Amino acid sequence: MLFSIAPRLGRRVLWPVLVLLVLSMLSTLVWLAGRYEVTQVQSRIERDAADAVSDIRTALTRNVQSLQALQYANHSAAPWTQEASIMLREHREWLRLELRDTDLRVVNSVDTPFRAPAFTRFGREANQPEVVQACGVARRQSGPGYGASTYVPQANGLGLEIMDMCLPVITDGQLTGFTVATYSLGEILVNMVGPQLTRSQEVSFTESDGTRLAMHGTARRGSRVFIAKQLMDLPGHTMVLRLDSWRGAPDLFPNVLTALVTAMAIALVTVLVMLARDMRRRQRVELDLADALAFRKAMEDSLVTGLRARDSEGRITYVNPAFCEMVGFEAQELIGKSIPAPYWPPEMVDEYGQRQALRLAGNAPPREGAESVFMRKNGERFPVMIFEAPLINALGEQTGWMGAVLDVSEQRRVEEVSRASQERLQATARLATVGEMASLLSHELNQPLAAISSYATGSMNLLQEGAVKDPHLAETLSSAIQRIGQQAERAGKVIKSVHDFVRRRDQAREAVTPRALLDDVMPLVILQARKLGVRVVVHCLSDLPAVLCDRTMVEQVLLNLARNAMQAMTGDTPHKVLTLSVRPAASSANSRWVEFWVADLGHGIPEGVAEKLFTPFFTTKQEGMGLGLSLCRTVVEQHGGFLSHHANNPRGTVFSFTLPQSGTEA
Amino acid sequence: MQPTEDALVFIVDDDAGVREALAWLLRSRRLPSQSFESADAFAEFLNSSIAWQPSQPGCLLLDVRMPGMSGLALFEQLIERQLLDVLPVIFLTGHADVPTAVDSVKRGAFDFCEKPFSDNALVDRIEQALARSAQTLQALRTKQCLQHNLADLTERERDVMHLVVEGLPNKLIADQLDISVRTVEVHRARVFDKMNVKSAVELANLLRGE
Repeated sequence: MLFSIAPRLGRRVLWPVLVLLVLSMLSTLVWLAGRYEVTQVQSRIERDAADAVSDIRTALTRNVQSLQALQYANHSAAPWTQEASIMLREHREWLRLELRDTDLRVVNSVDTPFRAPAFTRFGREANQPEVVQACGVARRQSGPGYGASTYVPQANGLGLEIMDMCLPVITDGQLTGFTVATYSLGEILVNMVGPQLTRSQEVSFTESDGTRLAMHGTARRGSRVFIAKQLMDLPGHTMVLRLDSWRGAPDLFPNVLTALVTAMAIALVTVLVMLARDMRRRQRVELDLADALAFRKAMEDSLVTGLRARDSEGRITYVNPAFCEMVGFEAQELIGKSIPAPYWPPEMVDEYGQRQALRLAGNAPPREGAESVFMRKNGERFPVMIFEAPLINALGEQTGWMGAVLDVSEQRRVEEVSRASQERLQATARLATVGEMASLLSHELNQPLAAISSYATGSMNLLQEGAVKDPHLAETLSSAIQRIGQQAERAGKVIKSVHDFVRRRDQAREAVTPRALLDDVMPLVILQARKLGVRVVVHCLSDLPAVLCDRTMVEQVLLNLARNAMQAMTGDTPHKVLTLSVRPAASSANSRWVEFWVADLGHGIPEGVAEKLFTPFFTTKQEGMGLGLSLCRTVVEQHGGFLSHHANNPRGTVFSFTLPQSGTEA
Repeated sequence: MQPTEDALVFIVDDDAGVREALAWLLRSRRLPSQSFESADAFAEFLNSSIAWQPSQPGCLLLDVRMPGMSGLALFEQLIERQLLDVLPVIFLTGHADVPTAVDSVKRGAFDFCEKPFSDNALVDRIEQALARSAQTLQALRTKQCLQHNLADLTERERDVMHLVVEGLPNKLIADQLDISVRTVEVHRARVFDKMNVKSAVELANLLRGE
């Protein structure tokens, strides 16, 4: 029970679990792949942000250097404004350059040529606090200082986010003024950040609280946004650079890895399904195989024919139960045994060994089987028929021989008995024929002898009455005639002795049931019937009384009559049926009789033949002696019965004879 | 034993040689014979029996085995017709038929004789058979005579006769029949006369066979 149910139950649970696991693993993998991709994008954007900040810093530093170069330039050769204008052309991020004194009053200023002057609407003074803050930082640090960014509305309704940078001007170790550069934050982003960064991303400056100050870059192109923020710490002012990267909605296969994983997952599932299918097919095949094996086993076990397989070295590889039963050895006692096999009679080992060597050399055995003698475990020998066929494996190679072994001892015994009984009946038949001949001969000779004897006696009688007058002649004649009589009598005695010798067994009477008589002759009758294509029908009541008879002689009568009947049904007879029947016959006063009928459907007996039917040596058969019916009549009459015949209805002849019942006075 | 003069021996044998030889032998002993070549022929002769008088003593020499009707079958017919006493049967047999012959003797055949036979012994048996036949015929004839005589008696004479045979004296008979003694004597004399006897003892002997 456990063995059969547990795997089935396990299989039912295992499969969903396996599918679930695979699916969860796959989704995890896909999710992980997505995550990985997000992380990568994020880290790239972070790197970009850092790059952007670094770019800006570098640019700012260079700008500081450029401004320092402006300070130290020889203003006698070219006025400051000229130099500043040249520099403004080179630096689009600047809106305005101012030269201020130590009290932060504007000494000189130049506006960028690329746009309208930024401070025309509300005046530069609006931004004074930021400038003061920046220059404060610059003074304290003796380096560039930045002011907070401010929004400067423009004439066209828009506005600019600006940031002031202040650089102290130091002449001979004395602070002589400040150079203030006003940056446009938007222009910083445009000019100082690498174009590769802004191509697919949006760069912006925000306050630390997230208020967007300036932005640059492409418009959004997707629903997913990746944001990187990088703090930009400038002396005096701190801003946040924000990078927005827009991505499309996450694809089913966001990247190659996910696609690969998915493809592999699909392949895996496919392989799993195929495996499952293969497994199911395998199971079905296994089941079929098990069935076939069970069938084969049942077949082998039910066989009465012994089966024995030997490999190419002559070792026994297989025996079936019937073979084991036949030879009396257990299967394990036989399997693996080589020459000589345990069931070989010791005296035959040499011969069998040679035969097997011949077989192993590839000589095919006769198809009709070979006769052999095997030995049972108890030493009893018995004849067998062996039918051998080459054993071919799946590759088509011969791996040995399969032999079917039939125990024919019973068959032999039956044949022996049958032959013995046939010989006995034939011997009896010969004896009976001889006896009948002797009987006929004696009858035929006795007739003239009786006549001779009668004439002799009559002559003697006449002589004694004095028919011959001459006493001497009478004497001589009397003596001669007497001798004639004596010789006739002697001849009669010789015949009688021969006859008695042949008929010595006349008195062997025994009580036999009619059924037993029929059973004795049936094998021979059926044998002949089969040869002539005749159907044999027997009617015999089982409760018929026994008859008193000479068994072997009556069997001869039955055989003779049956054979005649069958031979009477020649080729043109439509229904060849031989009927043997036994019935109680009409009884006379002191004896009861049983009547035997032998009926055929043959050509019947012609008129001329009927008269001579019982005449000795009369026959209608080419090889017949003409003694059969004569013998039958003699035998039947010896038993006190009658043998007669009449026409059968609708055709053919019935021969019937009677025998006395046992126990009544015959 | 003297064979009766008008006795006749019937020979039934299919072998002409045997028939003639037997006839010749019988003639040498002065016995007339008649031969038949088959049982059928003899049966026919019996049925249309003009030549053969049932009163004539006879004997049948019968061969057992013959073509057509066998000797045994003919024998059965004779048994059926109750002729065995008038016509005793002696079977002529070969060796083979001895048991059959023994059986038939048990069933009433006079004797059987194996071929080849000791001929004079056979003739002796034939004569005995003829004597038996003659005797039987004699008895038959006597019986017939008695029947005839009895038939002649009147009612009263028969009554008187029965009482006489019982040994009653005339006086008692007269008393019993309620007639006179004289009448009894007359009847008695007439009965003796008709029955052809001399005494009451003789009459009683005669009637005992009835």
